[in-house]
Amino acid sequence: MCALEDVSLQIRPGITGLLGPNGSGKSTLIKSLLGLVRTQSGRGRVLHYAWPRDVRAIRDSVGYLPEDDCYIAGLTGIESVTLMSRLSGLAGNEGLRRSHEMLDYCGFGEERYREVESYSTGMRQKLKFAQTLVHDPPLLILDEPTTGLDPDQRVAMLNRIRNLAIKHGKSVILSTHILHDVRSVCDQVIILVGGTLRVVDSLENLSRPIEPTVRVVIVGDASAFVEAATIAGYSVRAEEDFGVWCVERIGPDEVKRLWQIAAETRTSIRSLQPAVNSLDKIFMDVAAGKLRTVPQRGMEAVDAGQ
Amino acid sequence: MPVNDLGYRPWQGDRTNQVVRPWVVARSGISLVWRRRWLRTMLMLAWLPIVVPALALFAFEYSSVEPDFQDAIYGLMRGPLGQPELARQLIDDPDQARHQVWSSLILVFFRYPQLLAMVVLIGLVAPMLVSYDLRTKAYLMYFSRPLSPLQYVVGKSAVIWFILAMIVTVPALLLHLLGVLLSSDFSVISQTWDIPLRILAASAVLMIPTTALAMGYSSLTSESRYATFAWFATWAMGFVAYQILTFSQTAIRGKLPRGRRRGPVNWEELGVDLDKWRLLSPYHTLGKVQAWIFDLDTTPASNAPSLLMLGAITVAGFWIVRSRIIARLSA
Repeated sequence: MCALEDVSLQIRPGITGLLGPNGSGKSTLIKSLLGLVRTQSGRGRVLHYAWPRDVRAIRDSVGYLPEDDCYIAGLTGIESVTLMSRLSGLAGNEGLRRSHEMLDYCGFGEERYREVESYSTGMRQKLKFAQTLVHDPPLLILDEPTTGLDPDQRVAMLNRIRNLAIKHGKSVILSTHILHDVRSVCDQVIILVGGTLRVVDSLENLSRPIEPTVRVVIVGDASAFVEAATIAGYSVRAEEDFGVWCVERIGPDEVKRLWQIAAETRTSIRSLQPAVNSLDKIFMDVAAGKLRTVPQRGMEAVDAGQ
Repeated sequence: MPVNDLGYRPWQGDRTNQVVRPWVVARSGISLVWRRRWLRTMLMLAWLPIVVPALALFAFEYSSVEPDFQDAIYGLMRGPLGQPELARQLIDDPDQARHQVWSSLILVFFRYPQLLAMVVLIGLVAPMLVSYDLRTKAYLMYFSRPLSPLQYVVGKSAVIWFILAMIVTVPALLLHLLGVLLSSDFSVISQTWDIPLRILAASAVLMIPTTALAMGYSSLTSESRYATFAWFATWAMGFVAYQILTFSQTAIRGKLPRGRRRGPVNWEELGVDLDKWRLLSPYHTLGKVQAWIFDLDTTPASNAPSLLMLGAITVAGFWIVRSRIIARLSA
């Protein structure tokens, strides 16, 4: 079985969402980058290290948050983070000091002195995040970081991720199934399906419809408005939500015409805004093989950060 | 929340060399096992048998300055201990006798109480080392750092080496030091300088294959109790199988010595081949090599098969751990 095949991509600094259905090879791609699974062929660069030759140096410069619920049995929260700091080379008390700092940043209080076995799933997730950050890596690879978090904690986690990328210049690869998380923090998106790369593009490009489209929310009966717009040469289709319509093939300077049609047909418009493709739809289209935007071949594999 | 929340702050500083990172794994593992009260109690109990060779050393050294006591030791060696040649050497060449007596006492300390303590302690500690990491997927945490599988294995093994050093190597070296301090002058150092080296060699022979075996079992399952069972079964079944296969024919022929007797039995005279089935039993295989290290091997067969067996156990054990870890990472 081939877990990943013909994957060639360049990841720019910023936050990159790594998406794909179950078994699409997201975790394998991450583990390959870290040298945790052996690759049969391929080459590239992660940060300024040659991949796969310098995988240990790469691991020293990357903060990896695994998807699995993993912890070292018997250790308290602070000991777990300190152990990871020391494995990353922070010596003596500096490792301990930095670990406390990261636990503070991740919202831990006195519970840091409890054994990790007694933590809830959400607390373990935050603990893993603190371990990921303790050596201040320039690149973070986060595999499902919001799993098990309650809504408040999820928002806080996403804020931290955004804060790290914007204020502290970290590059982040965010592997997740939660499309809302990707939409709220990511700059670009990679979609894998069946071990092959289907999409690498910025979220902005992906969200833009192929044809200029306006999304109109109409109050009351819309039939007269739809009929008039169609006669005027626009393509109008109903969205899934009641009262929402998409007017396609309309340029930015033609929006005034829609207002005129609404006035002529005595139709009330609640909102009118440029339409964007939903990430859910993009994801479904990619998974179904309807959409594919891959970069030119011959690009470096990974060049996130710096 | 902290009183003064500073948010995220970048960190810059010198990092330790990657070569010393296994020491971090070892230190963490030692710290974890050291928290267990039963382990500390058992380590203390494992030191108790040192009293016997220490008293024997004292008696031997005291005999060199007290002629009456030397006579008593001489009688003891000729009689109950069945060592007439050593008894004669005690009178004729006490310096040469000293080397043999010290070596014998330390070997006995290695072979009997400490080997038993080793089997029990390692059986209780080692299965947890890798099994727990497999169960809690802690290996993902370790290998998210620049750690190779070999460094991980060395770090985990060091936990066992620490315990074994505490119950075997350190007491044996202290016994030697005690002998030096109890002796009449420091010339004994030149007579016995090789004994500490033999202790270190015998410790290595004890530690490396046993650690590999215990770690191998531990890595085969995420249920540490199964690894514990396999560990004890290996020692017990090997011991029993060796005893039965070695002595059953002689027992059937009715040639086994009956009742209490003085000194060691000459098994060769009774037609018992002590080496034929030795490789079945880790206990007896280790004993053969350790006796050879202390230059006290009394059986005629070569040490090569025993050394090869211990080497094979070492290679197989560490290979299993490494393969299991790599397989788990790829899963």
